[in-house]
Amino acid sequence: MSPTTWGWLVLVFPLLGLIVISLSWRRLPGRTAGYIGTSAIWLAFASAVGALVSLQGRVPADRQVTSTAFNYANSVGVDIKLTILIDPLAIWMMLIVTGVSGLIHLYSISYLGSDRGYARFFAYLNYFVFSMLLLVEAGNFAILIVGWAGVGAASYLLISFWYRRGTATEAGIKAFVINVIGDVGLVLGTYFIFKHTGTLDFLKTFDKAPDVFSSNEGDLVAGCVLLLVGAFAKSAQIPLHTWLPDAMEGPTPVSALIHAATMVTAGVYLIARMWPLFELAPSAEDVGAIFGCATLIMAATIALTQTDVKRVIAYSTMSQIGYMIMGVSVGAYSAGMFHLFTHAFFKALLFMAAGSLISAMAGEQSLDRMSGWRRALPFTFLSFMTGGLALSAVPPFSGFFSKDEILLFVGNLGGWHWALYVIGYIGALLTAIYTFRMIFRAFFGQPCEEAKELEQGHLAHAEPFNPQTGEKEDTDVGFPGPEHHIAERERPMRVAMYALAVGCVVDGLIQIPHVDNVVSNFLQPSFEASRYFGETEPDGLLIFGLALSSVLSIVGIAVAYRIWVQRPGTAARIRERFALPYRVLVNKYYWDEAYDAVIVRPLAAAGQFAQQTFERVVVDGLLVGGTTSVVRAGSATVRGLQNGFLRYYAALLLVGVAGVSLYFLLSSS
Amino acid sequence: MPLSILIWCPLAFAVVGAFASPRLTPRIVLGGSLITLGLAVYYLFAFDPHATGLQFLTDETWISVLGIHYKLGLDGLNLFLVALAALLSAAGIGAANLREWDRPRLFYFQFALAESAVLGAFCAQDLALFVVFFDLMLIPFYFLIGAWGGGPDRVRATMKLVIYTLVGSLFMLAAAIATGVLAGGQDHITFVLSELQKVPLSRGSQEWIFLFFAAAFLVKMPAFPLHGWMPDGYRAMPLPVLAVFSAVLSKVGAYGFLRIVLPLYPDAAVHFQTLLLLIALASILYGSIMAFTVTDARLVVGYSSVAQLGFITLGIFALNPQGAQGALLQMVNHGLVTAALFFIIALLARRAGGSEDIRDMGGIAFRAPVLAALFLIVALATLAMPGSANFVGEFYILLGVFNSKVAIAVIAFAGVVLASVYVLRAFIRTMHGRVGPKVESFDISLRDGLVLVPLVLVILALAVYPQLPLGRSETATKSSVRTAQAVANPPQRPGLVGPPTQQNAPQGTLPPQEQAPAP
Amino acid sequence: MNVGWYLAVSALIFSAGAAGVLVRRNPLVILLCLELMLNAGNLALVAFSRMHGNADGQVFALIVMVVAACEVTIGLGLIVALYRRRLPIDVDELRELRG
Repeated sequence: MSPTTWGWLVLVFPLLGLIVISLSWRRLPGRTAGYIGTSAIWLAFASAVGALVSLQGRVPADRQVTSTAFNYANSVGVDIKLTILIDPLAIWMMLIVTGVSGLIHLYSISYLGSDRGYARFFAYLNYFVFSMLLLVEAGNFAILIVGWAGVGAASYLLISFWYRRGTATEAGIKAFVINVIGDVGLVLGTYFIFKHTGTLDFLKTFDKAPDVFSSNEGDLVAGCVLLLVGAFAKSAQIPLHTWLPDAMEGPTPVSALIHAATMVTAGVYLIARMWPLFELAPSAEDVGAIFGCATLIMAATIALTQTDVKRVIAYSTMSQIGYMIMGVSVGAYSAGMFHLFTHAFFKALLFMAAGSLISAMAGEQSLDRMSGWRRALPFTFLSFMTGGLALSAVPPFSGFFSKDEILLFVGNLGGWHWALYVIGYIGALLTAIYTFRMIFRAFFGQPCEEAKELEQGHLAHAEPFNPQTGEKEDTDVGFPGPEHHIAERERPMRVAMYALAVGCVVDGLIQIPHVDNVVSNFLQPSFEASRYFGETEPDGLLIFGLALSSVLSIVGIAVAYRIWVQRPGTAARIRERFALPYRVLVNKYYWDEAYDAVIVRPLAAAGQFAQQTFERVVVDGLLVGGTTSVVRAGSATVRGLQNGFLRYYAALLLVGVAGVSLYFLLSSS
Repeated sequence: MPLSILIWCPLAFAVVGAFASPRLTPRIVLGGSLITLGLAVYYLFAFDPHATGLQFLTDETWISVLGIHYKLGLDGLNLFLVALAALLSAAGIGAANLREWDRPRLFYFQFALAESAVLGAFCAQDLALFVVFFDLMLIPFYFLIGAWGGGPDRVRATMKLVIYTLVGSLFMLAAAIATGVLAGGQDHITFVLSELQKVPLSRGSQEWIFLFFAAAFLVKMPAFPLHGWMPDGYRAMPLPVLAVFSAVLSKVGAYGFLRIVLPLYPDAAVHFQTLLLLIALASILYGSIMAFTVTDARLVVGYSSVAQLGFITLGIFALNPQGAQGALLQMVNHGLVTAALFFIIALLARRAGGSEDIRDMGGIAFRAPVLAALFLIVALATLAMPGSANFVGEFYILLGVFNSKVAIAVIAFAGVVLASVYVLRAFIRTMHGRVGPKVESFDISLRDGLVLVPLVLVILALAVYPQLPLGRSETATKSSVRTAQAVANPPQRPGLVGPPTQQNAPQGTLPPQEQAPAP
Repeated sequence: MNVGWYLAVSALIFSAGAAGVLVRRNPLVILLCLELMLNAGNLALVAFSRMHGNADGQVFALIVMVVAACEVTIGLGLIVALYRRRLPIDVDELRELRG
């Protein structure tokens, strides 16, 4: 079978899963919905492998294949067709998405086991995977946007999955609206490009781009920057990042799948996919690099002070995606995609472990309340540790190789890129510190009450509550389910975490400079025309970078150990010493407050003004009132003539007839 | 099969129903509207997408002295609107069937008369006939609101609606007569659209006629700031009637722009393009802001319609085929989602102790998962999520505007973002969150489902294959905007065709190179 | 004989009828005066018909008679209805239709 046939199959399976679950959810007993959903994803994974094998069977020059199903909306010169494009980059993403999703589906079978919305959850999850695959397989801008918005909608649905929580629905609407802003950026950017190329098809656009655009042409830069707006919104980059921490309201597998491993990396994929355009617009590339770099350092500093375990991981996600965006923006495409791959593994693993921990705490997410879980949750601890080591880029875990590759590329560009290089390494140090701060606080020290209970085989908590507001949870919608769903007890969770942990250890080994270059060789057909591709970095810089990275990660862990294990209380002293920076960080640089003051409140005030003043005075009073009062005044005048006297009417009639006759008599003579 | 059968079928059944026993009347009228729907679907597939010009033509002289013809025909512009009107009327009459009405025979007669008139307005290919149908369709609605409406302000709302819309119609009548007389001359008056199109009017008369038509259509849509009749009118109307009224009648105005105004008054359309675009933009922003401020569910939908109709106007006055195609597709989409939303509001109100205020709702989803899923699909379509046909419509509209006025397109995108805010706000406030105090939720019944589910299925089908309407309307929209487009972008041949101001320039001032003596 | 005389008589009768309609308040009398006006018209029609020598005018006259009969029927019916409801038999009192 051709790669595109496999590609269509990859799309069909999650869609089928969605349809089957949503049509038969009432009749599915027990955990069947979970099994259906999970097997749909694994079938998609198998098809993605099929596409991989089929594509590798072709000569490298022939590895970009498109297939069109039908005209989706093709008229008056706008060529929107349902087209997929299968090339190594798409396959790379397909494999990551289906593989990681499959594991997270597996994990969810147990984790959501006692939730009332079990079938709904898997239907949404399959819908998400379908949209994500549509996004990565899209062969033109329109289909890309459809997938792009589809994952946004799935993300909204899953964030507000526990929809009786006010905090969850608010987080959902926030995420959706910011994602729509991204969609708008994407659509507008598409317009700017379409205006010149006259086609929406990717390959045709890339073909025509060098002819119709001169380097750094205004419209192209505008188009690319608008595409970046889309990427920033989806990938939670500054200044459109505020939704991601709030998105942690969703169930933990959702955070693992959508808000860490796959959806939020769509922005990275977008930039990598659009490289022929970005390379014609170097200014847009610089914008991407600078914003990525700013995000990576800002998110890392915020992560140092947050106490909600999921939010710490969320900020770490933002920071890591900052690395990727910075990388692909400056041309480090395969390095960026490589980091995307390793990040999907270790971040999914971290979230799964955090989920296990949170479930053991019966929904409590604050690090302030957790401690000493090492003995009660040995497996969770080990997997958290593996994920943490990979995130902190300790050699030879996967993050070590991928992060270094990006920074190496950035440094090699020289000039002002050195600033990005330095900030990247500062970020690496901070990453190690906040990761191990989290691990040390949760797993070391004296066991907290819940940990002690669990060591004695505790099964369930009586009264779950919302960790954000403290109000009692409405258990009708499920969460957080009074039972503890922990990896130590549930085999599917354990299997999924095992697989990811193994990945965290070995993934990095597939792309070791001078040893094997599996990733860049595989992605070569997609990127070889790029002017950055195949650039070799000097060995000196390479070795310096690897050494520096190892040292920084070890130092970071040591610092964290000293502060939070050896000398408890150091943290409080630092907090007092640097009160102002601490307040800024703990309030996340006041982004939310700023948006509230600049956008949300003025709009609400405008709405109130429109409703209470404008509508009443101008629209109803002046326009409607004006029109109707003119008509009414006119009718009142005419009404005066109708006095009801029959003889008066008769006289009028007579006078009228007489007048008319007289007129004719006079005019005829 | 002549189009007259399609148009008069509902009325014929209503006449039969009017003499049947009151218990049978609803079923008879429903049957009539279903048969009409069947006919409309037949036309949908019998239509030849490649042919140019009108199909299924009926052309009889009606009033020969005035040159008025009874001329009906279908092309890409009205094909899907006819189907939409038939579908939504059937759904509305179906929804009305689910409850008892006072004086049912009169009620259903009015309802069916409205359907016939709307279909007539869509099919009419003669200006005078269009005006007749346009006013005819308003009459039954006045009675439906006045006699069967609810709320304390019913009579006042009806009066407001009657006067405001009739003033609009009066403008249109005057403009239509003027067009016929000015174009035809003394001896040969004609109102047939295809004839009128051959005789362009002078620019001055085009302009005032254009403004008169625009006033009538903008009131009907309604567009900001002429929407004043809408809040009271919407609050008073019975919901099945409102669904048809809001979803179909507003489209007649937008359709009138494409069918009549752009082909007949192209110079004026170009002259007032910016004005109309600004009105559309104001409608989008104002409608959106109001839609997330008001709490009456009907008004949320009502103001969202103001915004959506703003998008449609925007597409029409982009004056290029992309915008017009998008506008046409969006008319169909908006009709579908609006009707579905009003039916959903009826269902929600029944679960919230009769209140239609979204503050009284909440947490309905848990006991009504199927209803919640249907609402979710409709809501996502309403906010034009990519993947829905609404998105394709907005994509075309905004692309069209982008190609003619970039700045307006960029501002209009704010409307897209705001749409997601007000739609989700309405969805979350009703379906999610804690259970409201008066809420007694239960899932959608089979009977209610029979009305709502077909609409949702059509929405889904269009989402999967928007090419069906787009492919069939392509030729017609192109020819609708062709003249205006030609006026807006005159062929670049300086000296032959120039803007009128240059032609009126004083004769003595020739450009320098022409003054140079020949060697 | 000259047609003018017939017309003069017709005009006289018509004026008498019109005056009666205008000054009297009893609906019954008004009805009578209306009849007078109609018959004045009839007289003129017949006179013209005679003058032109064709029957068209006479046909019109016949139609007017039929209409007059109908009108009387309805008018008398109304008066009877008024009487039964014990309303005043006075057109100045019956002014429900005033705006």
